[in-house]
Amino acid sequence: MKSASSLSAAVLLALLGSSLSANAYDADWKRGRIYYRSVCTSCHVAMPIGTVNPSAKTMAEWASYLQADKHAKGKDTVKQYLSKSYRASIKSANKAAEKFADVPDQELFDDLKAFVTKGAKDGDTPATCS
Amino acid sequence: MGERVYLFKGFERFWHWTQAALILFLMLSGFEIHGSYTLFGFEKAVACHNFAAWSLVGLWIFALFWHLTTGEWRHYIPTTEKVLLVAKYYSSGIFRNEPHPFKPSALNKHNPLQRLTYLAVLLLVSPLLWITGWLYLFHGDWNAWGLADLPLAPVAIGHTIGAFLMLAFFVSHLYLVTTGPTMTSQIKAMITGWEEI
Amino acid sequence: MKFHRLVLAGRFCLLALTSLLMTSSPAIGDAKPLKLSTTADHSKYKELQREFSSAPEVTKACLACHTEAAGQIHRTKHWRWEYLNPVSGQKLGKKTILNNFCISVASNYSACTSCHIGYGWKDASFDFTSEENVDCLVCHDTTGIYKKPPGLAGNPVLKDTELPPGSGKIVKGIDIAKVAQKVGKSSRDTCGSCHFFGGGGDGVKHGDLDSSLAAPVRELDVHMDATGLDFTCASCHKTSSHDVAGSRYTPTAMDKEGVHIRGKEDKSNPATCVSCHDNAPHKKEARLNQHASKLACQTCHIPEFARGGVATKMQWDWSTAGERDAEGKQIVRKDEKGRIIYESRKGSFVLGENVKPEYLWFNGDVRYTLESDKIENADGIVRINSLGGRPDDGKSLIWPVKVFRGAQPYDPVNKILLKPHTAGNDDTGYWKNLVWDKAIATGMRDAGLPFSGQVGFVKTEMFWPITHMVAPKEKALGCGECHRDNGRLAGVTGVYLPGRDASKLVDTLGWGLVLLAAVGSLGHGLMRLLSRRKPQGGDMKNG
Repeated sequence: MKSASSLSAAVLLALLGSSLSANAYDADWKRGRIYYRSVCTSCHVAMPIGTVNPSAKTMAEWASYLQADKHAKGKDTVKQYLSKSYRASIKSANKAAEKFADVPDQELFDDLKAFVTKGAKDGDTPATCS
Repeated sequence: MGERVYLFKGFERFWHWTQAALILFLMLSGFEIHGSYTLFGFEKAVACHNFAAWSLVGLWIFALFWHLTTGEWRHYIPTTEKVLLVAKYYSSGIFRNEPHPFKPSALNKHNPLQRLTYLAVLLLVSPLLWITGWLYLFHGDWNAWGLADLPLAPVAIGHTIGAFLMLAFFVSHLYLVTTGPTMTSQIKAMITGWEEI
Repeated sequence: MKFHRLVLAGRFCLLALTSLLMTSSPAIGDAKPLKLSTTADHSKYKELQREFSSAPEVTKACLACHTEAAGQIHRTKHWRWEYLNPVSGQKLGKKTILNNFCISVASNYSACTSCHIGYGWKDASFDFTSEENVDCLVCHDTTGIYKKPPGLAGNPVLKDTELPPGSGKIVKGIDIAKVAQKVGKSSRDTCGSCHFFGGGGDGVKHGDLDSSLAAPVRELDVHMDATGLDFTCASCHKTSSHDVAGSRYTPTAMDKEGVHIRGKEDKSNPATCVSCHDNAPHKKEARLNQHASKLACQTCHIPEFARGGVATKMQWDWSTAGERDAEGKQIVRKDEKGRIIYESRKGSFVLGENVKPEYLWFNGDVRYTLESDKIENADGIVRINSLGGRPDDGKSLIWPVKVFRGAQPYDPVNKILLKPHTAGNDDTGYWKNLVWDKAIATGMRDAGLPFSGQVGFVKTEMFWPITHMVAPKEKALGCGECHRDNGRLAGVTGVYLPGRDASKLVDTLGWGLVLLAAVGSLGHGLMRLLSRRKPQGGDMKNG
């Protein structure tokens, strides 16, 4: 019984793992908002650069910034800060990273993109920090 | 002079000093809770006060057992014998260096005025403090006890009255300790158990 | 372990349950990607895959399936802006009442009704039986792009439009088909689109509701915490048949009903703390449960309001409105933080952040000063609403409130509060013309009320029980906040607070007795000392 259960669990996990198909993901701007505020903003406030508002860039500027994927003037990448491994490294002190620990990297990236696009200078609802 | 009598046994002395420390601490924290001054802060004062109260409850269980089993409770039986003489001594004789009309012994260690005073504390002040204090301590359970309509004010004010009486007793007690054959002979007796007569 | 149990329950069950347990939406095998938060993906409906030329067209599409929805909305306060208080018999609701913020809806419909859940309420002739004019999207939008700008009587902007006309400012049109295809449950964002901005701006009115609650941290609100419990408004304001529970006209000050449990019929307000936490929620300290027989939960658990970085208005003085600069233009003055504290069209404001509430006994009974009520004492303070409550009525608890103070126009002859026509790009609107008697004449005429032509100003107060922005338990008020002289409950009578209260008589007698004991002892000792100085015998050396 026990071996049967672990076998079926393994099969199931394999199925789940392979099922992340290439279908278009419907980005969740609200999840992007939480991650942006809890991870990006909370760190940027402490850094010399200060707060970075979504409304500081236009939609096009955000798109090219995220496309180029150069964080801190190219020292590292934006994706790195959205990765599962980064989330795992800060999740003991950051509740957003903990909550979204298992979200696939690309989904979280799309969420964040949806939020900054929506909050961009020429976006639907320009967002400042608060 | 130089005659000594063993008045206070080991447990009795332990009881006395522990109780003294607890009551002192209860008064200190209690008058802060009352709002007379700020020392620990209200929340801590309440916690300390409760802890000391429970400690006193524990101590009293032992003391009660001790008094009952050893028969020591008999020292608190009131008497009028020599009471006027003793009163006269404290109001005039003491200033003329007259000898104390009462000689304590192991069987009769409190003079008649002490007997009356301690009994008054035991029968009037303590019950007031204990009953109101108990209610205060279990304020959270009043509803369950069917006391939902009891206001806190009379309980609190009763407890305060008890505290003032206890403080007044404490002040007098501190002074009267010095009226033995020497300034320190009585306090020595409560430390060593032996009193010079 | 979880898997093990599920297998026992059956393999098919396992597949179904596991897919439900996943928070993300991966598909099983070759199945299509699946939304698990709903059974209906509205983007797949043909009815919504089209161009919409007006918002009511969207509503018609919604109603084609949701046949009863509009009728349900029609019965609610959100739609009618009318409410008959069953206890006081007072006729209330936004349509009729006055407040001391923007004062009144009458004659200002187009501006105010941007927060009506309908389309086209531009004057008193609005048809309240119209189904297509129900606004489904304002509550069910999930995109965050749906907006209803003021001045358009509750209509959204579908094409780029200059607003206000002639201002040169372009409001972008929204993709209403996209909004319609992505409808979902209400959220803090949708409710907040009106309730965060009441009184004319972010956080202005309530003090415990502002845009910081859209995605708050735990410290701001332990229930709405976006990375924690993530409550929406409807988590507490449980809604049935589109009627949202919880009301400021008939609040529940003391909830004796206890927790709401499945299977038990509960007619009481589901939005109270007690409806989840019960009346004795403190597990470690029974003493605190006893406190709850006198205090609303909110009193200790909301130490301050306006804590999210958004200021709330605390005072609004309309009597100073109307200043113009040297060129005759309207003036705006700001404080050092860039917040507006004076506007020619509105008067002067006092703002507050991290505000400690005021406290009073409250039994849930709210009475308004209505448009017909006489102001007998114009030198006193008119209470726009009064909260009933006494320490001994068995229905009252001590509640935290925001008291909003102001001065606003009243008619010294008719002795009633006045309803000015404020918004509106016309000849009498106060915000454009800054002339009180013209603005009031229009406003009172539209409201069907008399106006003597004379305008005075009367001081007013309005009471807002505080109930949101619940802090985590470790941030709840400490004992010393109230148990001391001049603490938070300094003005609240009818309850004995150790540390604050004492019997003066007992204290005087008590300290007198202690002093007597001390003085007596000292005197006695002094006499002993003096008498011993006289050489009388050998024993003296012992002294």
